[in-house]
Amino acid sequence: MRNLKKGLYASCLLCLLSLASYLVIADKAFFILLLSILFILLLSLAAQVHKIILQESMAEIGQGMSVVDDELIHSVIFELQQFINQEINIVEQELERTKKVVSDAVIGISDSFKHLQSLSEEQQYMIKILISHSGNAEEGKGVSLANFVTDSNKTLDDFVGVIINTSKQSLETMTYTDEMVSQFERIFKLLAQVEGLASQTNLLALNAAIEAARAGEAGRGFAVVANEVRSLSVGSTALNEDIRTEINKAKGIIANLRSSVEIMASADMTSTLEAKEQMSVMMSHVEKVNIQTANSVEELAVIAPKITQAVSLGVRSLQFEDLTRQSLESLQMNISSIHEISDVLATFNKDTNIDVHEQLLMLKSTCQNVYQATRKADESRSVLQLNMEEGEVDLF
Amino acid sequence: MTVSSRISGDGKELIIAIDDRFDFSLHQLFRDAYTSITTQDLSYVLDLSKTEYMDSSALGMILLLKDHVQLYAGQLTISKPSDTVRKILEIAQFQRLMTIE
Repeated sequence: MRNLKKGLYASCLLCLLSLASYLVIADKAFFILLLSILFILLLSLAAQVHKIILQESMAEIGQGMSVVDDELIHSVIFELQQFINQEINIVEQELERTKKVVSDAVIGISDSFKHLQSLSEEQQYMIKILISHSGNAEEGKGVSLANFVTDSNKTLDDFVGVIINTSKQSLETMTYTDEMVSQFERIFKLLAQVEGLASQTNLLALNAAIEAARAGEAGRGFAVVANEVRSLSVGSTALNEDIRTEINKAKGIIANLRSSVEIMASADMTSTLEAKEQMSVMMSHVEKVNIQTANSVEELAVIAPKITQAVSLGVRSLQFEDLTRQSLESLQMNISSIHEISDVLATFNKDTNIDVHEQLLMLKSTCQNVYQATRKADESRSVLQLNMEEGEVDLF
Repeated sequence: MTVSSRISGDGKELIIAIDDRFDFSLHQLFRDAYTSITTQDLSYVLDLSKTEYMDSSALGMILLLKDHVQLYAGQLTISKPSDTVRKILEIAQFQRLMTIE
């Protein structure tokens, strides 16, 4: 436009110049030159003006189109409403499904955790019983394996003591027996002396008999006496022989006694030795088992409360279901807000005759209302959740 | 199967040595080895280094020797028993009654 104005001023100036040149200079060539310049200028101005007119008409055509597109707005809004409706339905379905899945899963997990908890309590109870039992055994109440082994060991020691004492007593008996045997030997010597005496007496009696025979009738009585003495000596020799036989029998009995005492005194210690070794192996084994049991019981006592703790933690963590449900519910609320807008869009579609501007304004106010309501709900919800997180969490 | 006994050079020890089997058959020899000794404060050493077998009568004999030693206020030591013999002596708890080396 400004160019157009400048061009017009320039063409006026050119007119004045050509008039002046015609009046003052009277140069034909110069005049023609100015006129031609003027002509070209006017031509270009005309082209400019044409362009502007064209632009304006274009603008007018544009205004006409916006009026025509009311229908388009309707159809777009209709499509939009359809689309939103469909999406909302899908989202709602999914939300419902998620809620159901979560709550089902939580019920299952919760049940299994409760079961686990009761089992762990039972286990702990049994461990306590076990601990108290092993404690009793350590205090020596009742018969424990360790006590049994100790008692057996003591019995074995006593047994060994008895065996050794028996051996000792037998050996002493043996000594007395040996003394008795040597005593018998002395008796035999005495008997030999007695035998010597008897044979001498016999010899004397024989001499006396001879002397009596030589004396003749006078010695007859003496001969009888000598004969009696001789028969006495023979009798004493027989008696001696009897005594020797009896004492030899006694010696035989003593020999039996010796072998019997020997058997009594000589007990083989090998089996006792083995028993003793087995006993000590058993003892160390029992000790090992006791230590192991005590250790296991201690470890179990530590582990059991940990299990309970873990289970409690799991049960407590299950409150996520509550929070998830709340989140899902608030999501459902948001979806219903969108639903409201979608409903408004649906009414927009029906009344094609009502002014578009008015309808748009209505839509806008509805949107604002819904927006406000949603924001309020959202604020109160976040406050609620904050409280949930801060507050003490109870088991359910 | 013999029992040998000797008095040490300084006359303070009576050493009784047993062969590989120490059992009832030795009781007479064993007793003879010490019964005649009546010296006071004598050290008796029972050398079991060669002995492999010992039964309860041997333990009884050792106890009788111990009685004899105590009667004359002496000391009894069992010298160098083999492992088996040492175990038997320990089962009989002889280590409480005498020195085992």
